[in-house]
Amino acid sequence: MSDPIIQVENMVKYFPITKGIVFQKQVAAVQAVDGVSFTVERGETLGIVGESGCGKSTLARCIMRLIEPTSGKVIFDGQDITALSRPQMRAVRREMMMVFQDPYASLNGRKRVGFIVSEPLEVHNIGTAAERKRRVQGLLEVVGLNPEHYNRFPHEFSGGQRQRIGIARALAVNPKLIVCDEHVSALDVSVQAQILNLLKDLQSEFGLTYIFIAHDLNVVRHISDRVAVMYLGKMVDLAGSNELYVNPRHPYTGALLSAIPIANPRVGRDRKSTVLEGDVPNPINPPSGCRFHPRCPRFQAEMCDAVEPPLREREAGHATACFFPLERWPLTADEMATVDGATVDRVRAELAGHFDEATVATP
Amino acid sequence: MSATIEQGPVASSDVDDAPLLDVKDLRTYFKTEDGIVRAVDGVSFSVKPGETLGVVGESGCGKSVTMLSVLSLNPKPGRVKLGPEADVDAEMQKYLLDSKKHSSLSTGTAMFRGIDLLQTSGDRLRQIRGGEIAMIFQDPMTSLNPVHSVGAQLIEAALLHQDISKRDARELAIASLDDVGIPRAKQRINDYPHQFSGGMRQRVMIAMALINEPSLLIADEPTTALDVTTQSQILGLIRRLQEERGTAVIMITHDLGVIAEVADEVVVMYAARVVERSGVFNLFEQPRHPYTWGLLGSLPHPDAVADRLTQIQGQPPSLLNPPKGCRFNPRCSYTFDRCLIERPELHGAEADAEHLDACFLDESRKQEEAHRLVAGLGRTAEAS
Amino acid sequence: MTRYLVRRLLWAIVLLVAVTFITYALFFLVPADPARLAAGKSATTEDVARVSKSLGLDRPFYIQYGLFMKKLVWEQSLGRSFSNRRDVNTMIFEAAPVTAALVIGGAILWMLIALPVGILSALRPRSLLDRGAMIFVLVGISAPVIWVGLLLQYFVGFRLGLTPNSGYCDVINPPAGADCGGVWDWFYHMILPWTTFAILFAAAYARMVRANVMDTLGEDYVRTARAKGAPENVVIRHHVLRNALLPVVTMLGLDIGVALGGAIFTETIFNLPGLGRLAVNSVETLDLPTVQGVVVFATFAIVIISLAIDILYAYIDPRIRLA
Repeated sequence: MSDPIIQVENMVKYFPITKGIVFQKQVAAVQAVDGVSFTVERGETLGIVGESGCGKSTLARCIMRLIEPTSGKVIFDGQDITALSRPQMRAVRREMMMVFQDPYASLNGRKRVGFIVSEPLEVHNIGTAAERKRRVQGLLEVVGLNPEHYNRFPHEFSGGQRQRIGIARALAVNPKLIVCDEHVSALDVSVQAQILNLLKDLQSEFGLTYIFIAHDLNVVRHISDRVAVMYLGKMVDLAGSNELYVNPRHPYTGALLSAIPIANPRVGRDRKSTVLEGDVPNPINPPSGCRFHPRCPRFQAEMCDAVEPPLREREAGHATACFFPLERWPLTADEMATVDGATVDRVRAELAGHFDEATVATP
Repeated sequence: MSATIEQGPVASSDVDDAPLLDVKDLRTYFKTEDGIVRAVDGVSFSVKPGETLGVVGESGCGKSVTMLSVLSLNPKPGRVKLGPEADVDAEMQKYLLDSKKHSSLSTGTAMFRGIDLLQTSGDRLRQIRGGEIAMIFQDPMTSLNPVHSVGAQLIEAALLHQDISKRDARELAIASLDDVGIPRAKQRINDYPHQFSGGMRQRVMIAMALINEPSLLIADEPTTALDVTTQSQILGLIRRLQEERGTAVIMITHDLGVIAEVADEVVVMYAARVVERSGVFNLFEQPRHPYTWGLLGSLPHPDAVADRLTQIQGQPPSLLNPPKGCRFNPRCSYTFDRCLIERPELHGAEADAEHLDACFLDESRKQEEAHRLVAGLGRTAEAS
Repeated sequence: MTRYLVRRLLWAIVLLVAVTFITYALFFLVPADPARLAAGKSATTEDVARVSKSLGLDRPFYIQYGLFMKKLVWEQSLGRSFSNRRDVNTMIFEAAPVTAALVIGGAILWMLIALPVGILSALRPRSLLDRGAMIFVLVGISAPVIWVGLLLQYFVGFRLGLTPNSGYCDVINPPAGADCGGVWDWFYHMILPWTTFAILFAAAYARMVRANVMDTLGEDYVRTARAKGAPENVVIRHHVLRNALLPVVTMLGLDIGVALGGAIFTETIFNLPGLGRLAVNSVETLDLPTVQGVVVFATFAIVIISLAIDILYAYIDPRIRLA
């Protein structure tokens, strides 16, 4: 039944911080991504959300091997691509493409649109010049641009149209997987809606798989089948998109959801949002145990700060990395902060038994 | 925390029905290499004391320029007073093209406490800027001067408007940093902007804006650059301070969610003009302009089940050469002959004279479409 | 900060070794024999060999280089001149103040011209002043130093007789028999060299200051300052200038080396006994120790000055200081 196109296993990316006058020695590391595992099924859209600095973009770049992961495995279409050499990787690259956030910076302003879109074809030596041109014109039409715009420059297009060019370029080599990194974030809502609809149409037409990274939870929910929530380099909640938004389990997911402004004055004005205090901590020296514990309303001393909760499937299709997951949703701020005594005792007993094992398992 | 506006200190008393700021027929033109850009083209709105006015629209619709024009903060601003019979557009173009000193030009009236801001200059205007009307901006990183400590910047703001000693200004600065929730304000006052996180910087901006207790705060996309949890903190902070002090707020944003949460009155702008103006509940429950419908429909709403978003086709027009008639006509699916020739003016609805829109569609059609849209978003059901 | 300073100094040493080595190597690639020049026109082959031996020129060049470095490190001595057997340290000690006076005075003059011109033309772009200033910039940047120097000598010095055309006067302790001395004479003689030296840089800096001020005027924090109600002069002084002049300070650090190079021309035209002229003269006579001395000293000076400017930069920019 399950047909994964990509499996990510225990992905870790540390950016070293060095010190020293002549010889640099590593004194610390920014733990951008720290042990993330997930699978994406063929034809599915996985959304990844989180606030700035949570490691979602680094994760995407590691998956594509645009930056080398510190450790971890990426199995793409049955093949471990982290073990591939550069030339071998080239062949894989045409199967997985990336579209970026900034439509201004990611397109070369001195090249014509036709060239930009056909570049992946040329890199991978596909077709003759005439075939390539026909293909590019076809692609421009597919993404809703006029094929006659083949000879124009990127600056002659609006932000939304440039995003379409980026998508056309990604589609050129018939990839199986497209990673979208915040690529509708800079667009106005009306244009954003056009692009989201286009992505959905293309998915059903070409059977594409998407990994869709964004900080806008509503956008991610709209486009994704499943959604993963990241906090400080860790995946803390992973569920079907409806499930995640209706029944968030991790307190951080709950806090995120309650922070989204609701475009309904009857609901939005009176609701008491569970606002997280303070900022995301420094990823150089992340908190011990659960990384969310210093800001968590459900924090329990000597458990949350001592042992890192593993990402565990607690109910079918919903994995959460929390010892004291939310019982239901919505909750008021007070309810969020209360954990019933029986659960605390149960978890304490469980942790006492597994204490040694757990600390070993979480480096 | 989340009091409704009825609980606000000044909102419901009848003395305050007179607007604090009343802008009429504001136009701002820019001189560019490609020609004259009509960035604001006949905009009118008003804010009452203690109230929050939301201004919503997409980038380039003129919502920020409108507010900057009120305070003459556009680049090289010129202002001109034209007679009632003047051909405003032609006069402004001529004036701007002839002027060597100005690259932008505004006309119209902006009455604030009995004086017209567009006729005021020099010391009086500077007293109002930052004293009675304060402004905060979208990007808190670039809006604070990187080479001065936040303390120095707050103290400067206080000393510009209050006759106090430097030491008192410093105490005041610490108190206002404390008030906006900056921990250890006494120490942090000596820090520089780059030592604060994005959310904390926006708090500093707010502290600086409110240090002189202005009666109006203009917030230009104050949370756009921030994460959702930080945005929630900042909106909560603005709301709290507003309730404590009775400050009126103009909140400029492109996010209808933010509008729904904070605004009492809403102005929807499209292509340099106001297309709809109403109370916040009416706007979301009986929207009357096709552009507002499009905005509401294109929002990925958390409770909507629709698989596809209703999109507005095409792109916002260039203000160098906007479409004739109604500026929304090339993107509007209800366009008919009249929209192509005649410019629609804001007019009140039959049932509610306070709910203004600039659309030629007939009343029943508007109600029907609005009803369909709102029902489709599943919003009426949960409005309990 | 300390770590940064130590690193800079270590790099300076590497630079010094590399530069001196290259100078040495170049000297031995030139197909001329310094010993023959030193020995005089009528010297026999034996004379030349003897001179060569006494100067140590008969040994392989890497040994000569080693000896030079050993002397430099242990005795802080740059050796003796081949041509006149004078101590190189003394010669540099005499010439350095002249060049320093030229470069520092010139730098002050060029900043005095560039700052007001740049700032005023940025505040009134496309005004008469701005257009005039930009023409001056164009001329200043494209005119060769020698041409400007000769022009000034001819018109200001010779035709108008306003300034002396060449020569140098010591401020203190003028040597016996000198026909001038003291602050006024020194200043009087330096007017033309300073002007010549400053024109090129003044033009380039005026353009840079203008561009920076115009950029900074468009910054968000300048708008914030205006929105606070700050009067325009406060906005300019407090919020625009400090930020706009930061990159100028960096450029100043980078340009000091270029300026020292430029001093060679100016000193030659105006016959100033500075390091530049010393270097030119000693290259002509293949006087390796003197050339080497000037190179070592100049490299050292450039390193120290740019270090000082870096520290100054860190002091005025909190983002660097506190990073």
